[in-house]
Amino acid sequence: MPGRLAHRLLVSIFVLLGVLLVGFLMLQVMPADPAAAIAGAQGTDAEIETIRRHLGLDKPVMVQFALYLSRVVQGDLGQSIINNASVFTEITRAAGPTLELMCAAMIWSLPLGLSLGITAALRRGGILDRVVMAISVAGVSIPVFWVGLLLVQLAASTRAFPIQGRGGAIWTIDGLPHVILPATALGLILLGPVARMTRTTLSDALNADHVRTARAKGAGPARVVLGHALRTALLPIITLVGLQVGALMGGAVVTETIFAWPGVGRLAVNAITTGDYPMAQGAILFLALAFIVVNIAVDILSELADPRLRSRT
Amino acid sequence: MTDLPAGEIPAGSSSRTWRRMRRNPAMAIGVTVLTAVVFFALIGPMISPYDPYDTALRMRLKPPSAAHWLGTDSQGRDLATRLMYGARTTLMLGLAGVAFAALTGGAIGLLAAFYKRLDNPLMRLIDVLLSFPSILFGLSLAAMMGPGLHSLILAIGLSIMPGIARISRGAALSVMAQDFMDGGRVIGLPDVTLMRRYLLANAYAPILTYVTLAFGDAVLLAAALGFLGLGLQPPTAELGSIAAEGRSFLFIAPHVSFAASALIFLIVLPVNMLGDTLRDAADRRAS
Repeated sequence: MPGRLAHRLLVSIFVLLGVLLVGFLMLQVMPADPAAAIAGAQGTDAEIETIRRHLGLDKPVMVQFALYLSRVVQGDLGQSIINNASVFTEITRAAGPTLELMCAAMIWSLPLGLSLGITAALRRGGILDRVVMAISVAGVSIPVFWVGLLLVQLAASTRAFPIQGRGGAIWTIDGLPHVILPATALGLILLGPVARMTRTTLSDALNADHVRTARAKGAGPARVVLGHALRTALLPIITLVGLQVGALMGGAVVTETIFAWPGVGRLAVNAITTGDYPMAQGAILFLALAFIVVNIAVDILSELADPRLRSRT
Repeated sequence: MTDLPAGEIPAGSSSRTWRRMRRNPAMAIGVTVLTAVVFFALIGPMISPYDPYDTALRMRLKPPSAAHWLGTDSQGRDLATRLMYGARTTLMLGLAGVAFAALTGGAIGLLAAFYKRLDNPLMRLIDVLLSFPSILFGLSLAAMMGPGLHSLILAIGLSIMPGIARISRGAALSVMAQDFMDGGRVIGLPDVTLMRRYLLANAYAPILTYVTLAFGDAVLLAAALGFLGLGLQPPTAELGSIAAEGRSFLFIAPHVSFAASALIFLIVLPVNMLGDTLRDAADRRAS
């Protein structure tokens, strides 16, 4: 449905503007004089004045906002107040690990959630269905940090997996053991909602006309469920995953903090607690942007998954 | 909506909902657990002999005993008492956030349904807010206002408000289509009366269901931000920050984090079970 995509893009533009405004405001409320902070303790008055002019701090607020926008577009997010590191560089360094962690979480939780949902839908009202639904409601009710802390305790007593930091890219021998625990804690967030949504949409789809037709034509049970029913049930599930990326992001912030995973979430939390406004602004901007991009991607994916949406112009 | 007279819908349906809920054993367990936790949080502070802020360094990290049922924390404070106050704080935070969201979101939804002119601009604003993950509200407000009570309530409220606005607009639109709304207008009732006595009185049921489900999310967000150090600041007893404090002593005194986290779970789980039951009942009524 191009209309839906257009609507999404339009909303995204406003979201982006809102996010940029928040980022800009974050630098405005900075209690210290940003120019003096950047110049550091040894900065002379002349240096501070130069930086002030470079940042446009002597101009009206609207002009400052425009200058801020143009800097952000050029990838200039400023410098950390704490260690003077380039915010942009720090974020590009942390983005990879966060992406890795989220993918590692989805790799196990999406297939498992789908299978649990399918099982529940096929045995609706049965004991398996109840078990799956109980897991699902417990999964969305449990604080992520509890799961994380329990895993840390378990791993520490069995010495099975490292509990701190990242050991390199996750597909390497060193990297893989490090990601297991954080990915387990994070994936749990997705498991309940995916299982639940699969159960609901698949049970509806199993009663649909085209599935009855497929059965009447003699298609086997596996083909009916996976080829006909699940195909139509996939769309709400994809949309749900897109919406859950926000929850996943929240979980990632907590998980990264617990497991000392060097991602954007931990960067943001550390920046906020240490009062590093430029770094916090950059990290939040990045997370919001990533969320917007994922949601646009999900909208495009859902059109590919459902030909009915494509033909309906 | 059915063609029943509007006044009969809430009365009839709520008693039917109640009967369905009673037949559901999971529901009974949920309500019992929730009542116990609320009791623990409200009555506990009154009967506990300890103060949640009195530190006693010689009593640090003691295991459970007759005097301290759940042992003590890293400052020698009675953990059970800390948890009672913490649960109270967490419940209050959830309530305050949800109340803020329900008032603003409900008002926006009703206004959008009542005044056609406002519908488009208000709902586009809601679309934008709906596009933010709740953690981003938490992070940005903590960064802008400094971590604390105000940023926390605002973050919880803003993350739940758009959903409530959508639901209340939907509910209000179906009420707007009823004849009695036109009737009220014809006899010259002022808009405020129409909205309050006619619109809100008939649209509140789905809003309440949504608010119940949102309360669980509110508590989880408050706890997560507290755990990250972006919520209420120590020494305030709050379950998320108690869990975070216990994290430093995870291997010597695992019960501190465990008890605080488990208590959060015991608040959120029954609330979500209750919300699910309400939603299922509403879905069944709709179909």
